[in-house]
Amino acid sequence: MSDKLIQIETPFVFNGENQREFDALIGRYPVKEAAMLPTLHLAQRQVGYITPAVMKYVAEQLEVSVMKVKDVVTFYPMFFEEPVGEYVIRVCHTLPCALRDCKGVLDHLKAKLDTDVASETNLAKGTTPDGKFTLMKVECLASCDVAPVIMVNGDLHKNLTSEKVDEILNDLSEK
Amino acid sequence: MVQERRILYEHLDVPDINTFDVFRQYDGYTRFEKAIAEYQPDDIAKMVMDSGLKGRGGAGFSTGLKWSFVPRDIKPCYLCCNADESEPGTFSNRYVLEKNPHLLIEGILICCYAMGIETTYVYIRGEFTLGKEMLDAAIKEAYEKGYLGKDIRGTGLNVDIYTHPGAGAYICGEETGLIESLEGKRGQPRNKPPFPAVEGVFGKPTVVQNVETLCNLPFIVGNGVEWYTQMGPTYADTRSDPPTPDPNTGTKLYCISGDVNEPGVYELDLGLTCSELIEVAGGLRGEEVKAVIPGGSSAPILTHYELDTRLDFTSLTLAKSMLGSGGIIVMNETRNIVDCLLNIMKFYAHESCGQCTPCRWGTPWVRDIVQRIADGNGRKSTMTRPKFGVAENGRWGDTGETEEIYEDLDLLESVANNIANVDTMTWNTICVFGIAVSWPAVSYMRKFRPEFEAAIREGELVTLPVAEATVPPEENYAYQQRFVPKEFADL
Ligand SMILES: Cc1cc2nc3c(=O)[nH]c(=O)nc-3n(C[C@H](O)[C@H](O)[C@H](O)COP(=O)(O)O)c2cc1C
Ligand code: SF4
Ligand code: FES
Repeated sequence: MSDKLIQIETPFVFNGENQREFDALIGRYPVKEAAMLPTLHLAQRQVGYITPAVMKYVAEQLEVSVMKVKDVVTFYPMFFEEPVGEYVIRVCHTLPCALRDCKGVLDHLKAKLDTDVASETNLAKGTTPDGKFTLMKVECLASCDVAPVIMVNGDLHKNLTSEKVDEILNDLSEK
Repeated sequence: MVQERRILYEHLDVPDINTFDVFRQYDGYTRFEKAIAEYQPDDIAKMVMDSGLKGRGGAGFSTGLKWSFVPRDIKPCYLCCNADESEPGTFSNRYVLEKNPHLLIEGILICCYAMGIETTYVYIRGEFTLGKEMLDAAIKEAYEKGYLGKDIRGTGLNVDIYTHPGAGAYICGEETGLIESLEGKRGQPRNKPPFPAVEGVFGKPTVVQNVETLCNLPFIVGNGVEWYTQMGPTYADTRSDPPTPDPNTGTKLYCISGDVNEPGVYELDLGLTCSELIEVAGGLRGEEVKAVIPGGSSAPILTHYELDTRLDFTSLTLAKSMLGSGGIIVMNETRNIVDCLLNIMKFYAHESCGQCTPCRWGTPWVRDIVQRIADGNGRKSTMTRPKFGVAENGRWGDTGETEEIYEDLDLLESVANNIANVDTMTWNTICVFGIAVSWPAVSYMRKFRPEFEAAIREGELVTLPVAEATVPPEENYAYQQRFVPKEFADL
């Protein structure tokens, strides 16, 4: 609770680069509200997740109510309302990946990271204590030809095996 | 063996085809130049109509016809390119975005010229970071080279293209969900009518078109309608008099995944059969085909009896399934259909947007029933009842036999059919997501009923041999229209 209070009090503003991107964005649409998703993506890139302060700021920028921003944030799975790890690992578990043993990949990741899988309402559950990784399941990533796949932040990793997962994790831990 | 015919994908693997200069070496933008030099906008619209191009995003609706619904006197009019590609089993748009984004831009330019559109939004699913990066870079280059922006090539034509990222919701692929999402709201589909062609994004006429559909346009303009219509079958629909042509023209980017040796995207003329496609994709991985999903996870499943079904819009509709997005998922004899259905129902339960009660509650309910069956807790009554099926007179009715009552299977069918009824094709929901839920649920259950019954009877998942797991076509009304009526012969 106290955490959340502090977040409300810490105001949010775009940094220089994001402000420039935002300025370019806003001109693309006849109504400001339409810039909602790209703006939220920018904000999430800056602070890692959508805090109440972010919602307030975005609402002011787009001239809509905070409630509307919250409404949108809760609808889309890619926006987080809680802190997540530095690397978000998304494991695809839809049918084509399931036919290629994505469960093995997921179990291996769970064992390696010693964590559970995050759920949309409980991201902490899938986040390692050092705050480095968040493990979550996602639906088809449109890469079924190279299944099973995972996405680590923006990067897709294909045709996974336990060895490949180990390599990926090693690379990330060294960074 | 059937040969691949690469048109959209012809130059996909050329190094640096994503840059303007290399794209230009391979006829890049010449088709657009031809369009503005030789044709009036209406000519292009007519060519698209005559080409018989059908939308590749899912619905398979005639593109030319869709364009004809757009009122020409209301401006601005928008183009939304649907690059949300979230249908499980579909991955052809991603390669276009990542490898050959200029082709999409050229397609967009031709559409904009034909329709008098000045602003295009490309709605890209949030997970396509690389695809968006590549397309953004290509757009920037096209602006620099004078192929986008104001007064393009001195013709007075203005076109702007903006990319718009989604954020992980499948339903934003539905055209009105996409429009809502683009407007900065929750991606909840709208009631139709009004259709987007009349009242779409920002209340203006909007053309929503899939990436693959738009990528066909340069080739239709460049090579002409006659060349285009040679590819793929054109059937005669004799329900009207005189018969109307029913074109399934062009190539399709078939995405094939699951139990084949070489999964991937294969560009082939529409109209090849299921078994031919499996051959092209390196053959089956395993001994026997158990089932094939022909058009993304929303499409009703095909059994091994139906492998000679042609994979085109008309034939699959007649087979009571659909080509949908062209995502073909193959399952071999080791797969358990109950388990596969469970996976798919989890997907839909997660992705329902929650607006309509039947869909919001029904979809998780269906999932829970399948989960229960898979867990071995499926319900079965101790009573029996008269068995319905094909009776002695060859018609549907009481067969005189009795059958056991699997309560959960009745419930499954009833709940699914109350979201959207697959027999009457009516739905109680705002969008056709409802059909996308009940189609797989009911078709898997009807066609592979023995496997569902076995799971309930034995109290655990039992994978039956293919022949035992599949209900033969004669016995099951899920197959009813399986055989292509004679009047649907090739023209
Ligand atoms: C639940 C649902 C999801 C859909 N997802 C997509 C999608 O990811 N990509 C797509 O192009 N069309 C999708 N569609 C189809 C679109 O509604 C629309 O028909 C299509 O974008 C029109 O373009 P086209 O005529 O070029 O195919 C979906 C439809 C429904 C009902
Ligand atoms: S059918 Fe489902 S997905 Fe479509 S609008 Fe209704 S609740 Fe949303
Ligand atoms: S199912 Fe995993 S990428 Fe499509």
